[in-house]
Amino acid sequence: MSETVVVGTARAGRFATVLIVTGSVILAVVALAAVFAPLLTGWGPTEIDPLGTLVPPGPGHPLGTDANGMDVWSRLLHAGRLDLGIAVAGVAVAVVAGTALGLVAGYLGGWVDDVLMRVVDVFQAFPTFILALAVAALVGNGTGNLIAVIAAVNAPAYARLVRAEVRTVRESSFVAASVTSGASTFGVLWRHVLPNSLTPVRVIAPLNAGWAMLTLAGLSFLGLGVTVPAAEWGAMISLGSPDVVAGRWWTSVPPGLVLLICVLGFSLLGEGLQERAEAKRR
Amino acid sequence: MDTDLLSIEDLSVVIRRPGREVAALSGVTLRVGRGEVVGLVGESGGGKSMVARSIVGLLPGGSLASGAVRFEGDDVLRMDDDALRRHRGHGAAICFQNPRGALSPTRTVGRQLTDRLTTHQRLTGAEARKAAEEQFATVGIRSPRRRLDAYPHELSGGMAQRVMISLATGCAPGLLIADEPTTGLDVTLTREILRRFRLAADTDGRGVLLISHDLASIAGVCDRVVVLYAGTVVESGPAARVLGRPAHPYTRALLRSVPDVDGRAVVATPGAMPLLKAAPRDCPFAPRCAHATAACTSERPPVSWVPGAAGDWTLACFHPRTDELAREEPAAESSGRGGAAKEPVLEVDDAHVVYRSRFGTGGHAALRGVSLRVAAGETLGVVGESGCGKSTLAKLLLGLVPAARGDVRVAGSRMSALRGRELRRLRTRVQMVFQDPIGSLSPRRTVADAIAEPLRALGLSAARRAERVEALADRLKLDRSMLARHPHELSGGQAQRVCIARALAGEPDVLVFDEPTSALDVTVQAQILEVIADVVRDPARGSVFISHDLATVRGFADRVIVLYLGRIVEEGPVEEVFGNPRHPYTRALLSSAPSLGDGFSGPKITLTEDLDDTEAAGPGCPLAARCPFADDRCRTEEQELRPYGNTRAACRRVPEIPDLLKGSDIRV
Amino acid sequence: MRIVRFLVRRLLQLVPVLLGVVVLTFLLVRVLPGDPIRTILGPNATPEDAAAARARYGLDQPIVHQFLDYLGGLVTGDLGTSIQSGTSVGAEIGLRVGPTFELVVLALAVALVVAVLLGVWSARHADRAGDHGVRLLALVGNSMPEFWLGLVLILVGYSVLGWFPAPSGRVDPDANLTPLTGADLLDAALTLNGPAFGSALAHLILPVATLSIVVVAPLLRSVRASALEVLHSEPYVAATAHGLSGRTLLRGYLLRATLARLPSLAALVFGTSIGSTVLVEYVFSWQGFGQWALRGLLYRDYPVVQASVLVIAFCYVVVFLVADVVQAVLDPRVQI
Repeated sequence: MSETVVVGTARAGRFATVLIVTGSVILAVVALAAVFAPLLTGWGPTEIDPLGTLVPPGPGHPLGTDANGMDVWSRLLHAGRLDLGIAVAGVAVAVVAGTALGLVAGYLGGWVDDVLMRVVDVFQAFPTFILALAVAALVGNGTGNLIAVIAAVNAPAYARLVRAEVRTVRESSFVAASVTSGASTFGVLWRHVLPNSLTPVRVIAPLNAGWAMLTLAGLSFLGLGVTVPAAEWGAMISLGSPDVVAGRWWTSVPPGLVLLICVLGFSLLGEGLQERAEAKRR
Repeated sequence: MDTDLLSIEDLSVVIRRPGREVAALSGVTLRVGRGEVVGLVGESGGGKSMVARSIVGLLPGGSLASGAVRFEGDDVLRMDDDALRRHRGHGAAICFQNPRGALSPTRTVGRQLTDRLTTHQRLTGAEARKAAEEQFATVGIRSPRRRLDAYPHELSGGMAQRVMISLATGCAPGLLIADEPTTGLDVTLTREILRRFRLAADTDGRGVLLISHDLASIAGVCDRVVVLYAGTVVESGPAARVLGRPAHPYTRALLRSVPDVDGRAVVATPGAMPLLKAAPRDCPFAPRCAHATAACTSERPPVSWVPGAAGDWTLACFHPRTDELAREEPAAESSGRGGAAKEPVLEVDDAHVVYRSRFGTGGHAALRGVSLRVAAGETLGVVGESGCGKSTLAKLLLGLVPAARGDVRVAGSRMSALRGRELRRLRTRVQMVFQDPIGSLSPRRTVADAIAEPLRALGLSAARRAERVEALADRLKLDRSMLARHPHELSGGQAQRVCIARALAGEPDVLVFDEPTSALDVTVQAQILEVIADVVRDPARGSVFISHDLATVRGFADRVIVLYLGRIVEEGPVEEVFGNPRHPYTRALLSSAPSLGDGFSGPKITLTEDLDDTEAAGPGCPLAARCPFADDRCRTEEQELRPYGNTRAACRRVPEIPDLLKGSDIRV
Repeated sequence: MRIVRFLVRRLLQLVPVLLGVVVLTFLLVRVLPGDPIRTILGPNATPEDAAAARARYGLDQPIVHQFLDYLGGLVTGDLGTSIQSGTSVGAEIGLRVGPTFELVVLALAVALVVAVLLGVWSARHADRAGDHGVRLLALVGNSMPEFWLGLVLILVGYSVLGWFPAPSGRVDPDANLTPLTGADLLDAALTLNGPAFGSALAHLILPVATLSIVVVAPLLRSVRASALEVLHSEPYVAATAHGLSGRTLLRGYLLRATLARLPSLAALVFGTSIGSTVLVEYVFSWQGFGQWALRGLLYRDYPVVQASVLVIAFCYVVVFLVADVVQAVLDPRVQI
């Protein structure tokens, strides 16, 4: 009679934790491998093996050599430095710049808002990758330039995101309370509007870092990003792409796989954060 | 044969979430018969909605349920999917709280109703459409055929509630469950909607379970009431007895917390409802109960008959009270505080506020020529239904919206004449307590930070701020440990105390309370009203108390103004306006105000319903279309406030109204 | 009638954005460090040759003059002449757009169908093993470098298994396909050329698969999230509590409400797919619009860059416009 009935299952909050932990571990492993690369291989990333190009994987070269005779395994490890570094730095700059613009536009409104948003409109009239292509072709391909490219193509999205959030927060009664308490505009912005407008940014930024890596690799693949001999996964895939038709997999498959796993790490992290944010909202 | 329609037996529900468990219901027993209206009352967190969900088999995922929910003899908890689908809707159908949110936004309301009709009454498409039209007419929807093709967002709140009722009754259920059906509706509408449920029981023989926190409103329509506290049934019995002469201390506390238009004093009960992790082993109300003994904290009181009472009246208490619920006399102190002689701290002179539409053409006038003054030590009550301009008035007083015409003067300074730093200074002289206490605290700032905000603007040092914050916390009986917390860790009552502390921090000249208790539970509301009553007593400060609820305003306002469509229609001393309303609108508001006591004692009138598509645009009295006394001159002549005795009212027929009231049969 | 007014108003609003795009690309292209004349003439050209070539393309004029010329051409539909090939840019676009459209439209169609079916299914089985699997696949797809995926598919499908043709060209030249629209599969169908149809289809499968996989992932995530939100929404719970049948719930209360939230997201995904198309065309030597635009960019072919940027921006904003219309059709709350 009074036996207990179990209704369904609780919506798992654990899955979010699994996602976040897995993503973080992946990223940590890749980052550590990049930092300590010299300890994991005897070859330098641009060191040429005089004994041969396109050597298949074997005892001397765990992943063979590429068309230039460079060790694929060593380049694979070292490439994380450029890939992660440029993507993360670029997104960080985009977040800071976009947030500042969005905050100003959203809170002040009026003509400032109109002008800033029209500029954002023009930027957003292009798909991100196309924009990145154009800007990369414009500014050239030094490391600093590539960071600027990543920042420039992503900042407008943050500006728009933060602006929308600010416009909601601006109407909330805690901002009204602050204004009527005599706080200055800067005080209201800094103490109340900004901290409460950043939630979506926190979720998007990791996902964005992943996409930024794809953008960077895509540019390099087309010859507009990092160029050989520097070690970068997209450039490695580019160099190895002619080998595919001949059935030589080791020059292009491993860098792509590592790139995929690394971006997946960011995606898992972002997905987990999003799920957690949503669970809190419910 | 003689089974009850619904019989819940010893139902316990524990909700398991990662990291926490909540005992939502612990041993709930109740029944609903055919043709019977049962009120399920109590404060939020008491388990009312969980009871409703268990009846339609919609307990949240991860719940553990024991006991039985018998519907016509079958246990809903143990039904398979098919049986459950047949039971839902046709067996028991819920009228959801917040009907606008519960109607599917992408389907016409007609389709939503015919979906129910074809599913449960096996009608074909054409029949269903015809039946739907009739159904709409029955629940009081005008031009039902046209409304069938409307989408939910095109409906007003009252209309949406009617549609929701038609959807639930369209399932032809044995049991109709109404979950807070009148939240957010104006008093006139509340009465009408509740009558529909009574009608469903009387004419169709349905059982009705009416879930509400609003005791005064449902008192008249229920046959029996069941009182829930912390997931347990504390008292249940015939409505008249339980609400008239409650035996359980919690029921008594609940009833004494409700303000009433008859002006009796509110008595607050300290403490708050606990959130139980497991079924209680003691009386969950014991910590707040004045009569609690050792037995109450060591043993859970069994459900027993109320001693000496006939009929089906039970309670779970070791010390039932059998005496009359003390009706304290109206507080006498509000009279004799003649603030008029004092210097006014707030003056509004013929203020108009217009919200421009986005593209600058036209606009919507939210306030049309409002004048008022508040003296130091005086409290002005502002009442009116939704859309009357109450909130706009609050924003105007705080300088958050500009006046298109007219002026606001605070402590003698004109707000519109100031800019920049000086305007900010002046703004701090008026402080507001908002409707949604948690929403008016910045989520990422601590309580101490929030209270100190005005002090920061005044340029006080950190040490002085901390000192003041602690003093304010003490004054509002906030535990000092709470100062380090964030808003989401506070209960509604605590958050509202924090907001009041913040409003007081800068020693403003004027305090504005914008519906400060409407988001709170009844016993918490009583506590906050007590705090506010204490705060407004300060002779150096004027207060404005805005509410849609006349009863709360009556409690401590000295004078009151009644707003209708952005205009003041009546103004005067609170006793005068509530005791002898001059304007028909005020009289109608008082007539329909729900009451557990004597209510409004004068002759009552009702207005014709608000026609939502005819905005009063003509030159005459804005109420003319709804007023039972309106004649042709009312429709063409602008009405201005004229003095009638102590009060002023914007109605030319005031002198004739006593005769009109006698002569006609508009009395309810 | 309302919809026509809406479209006209929105198209007019596009004018300043597109004008901004025109000005911006015109200026950016000219401050590019490369020089188109040098690239066509080669290193041995004399300064006189270069000056003559410069004059031929009007590059010796002041920049304001060049811009007005260009703008004048735009108004009359003249997009200029490619510096690289010497042919009309408009004609080249006509030649290149067909194959790209075929690729994109097929990939998007596949992706939309898969995303909606799988996304709704996944949401209805939320937090079970199947759902977790779908989510993981979507995440992998979301993290996929499309150019690498294309290479892997070539490696497996062509080099190892030999099932698909080599990644060069869109149709076997021996099939004697008469070009009509430039979209080879469509042309083959229109001219009833069986062998060409088979060949075009075989060439299409791998690039379409590549593109759909990267496009389906973000769509799938959005559909699932949207459906999940609807499933937990009050209206849906209310409909369930009123005992409506599974079919009525799905058709009347889940599907439209789910899709109503998606058009603007889908438009965004379409945008990313343009970027992916450039890479996929490059990998499969598709010789479509993307590859053509990319070459223009690499060789600093001013008219080609300007025209292709304008075309992409125009497509993009028009897709958003279409998304708004679709949204208004799906969601009655949206007023247009």
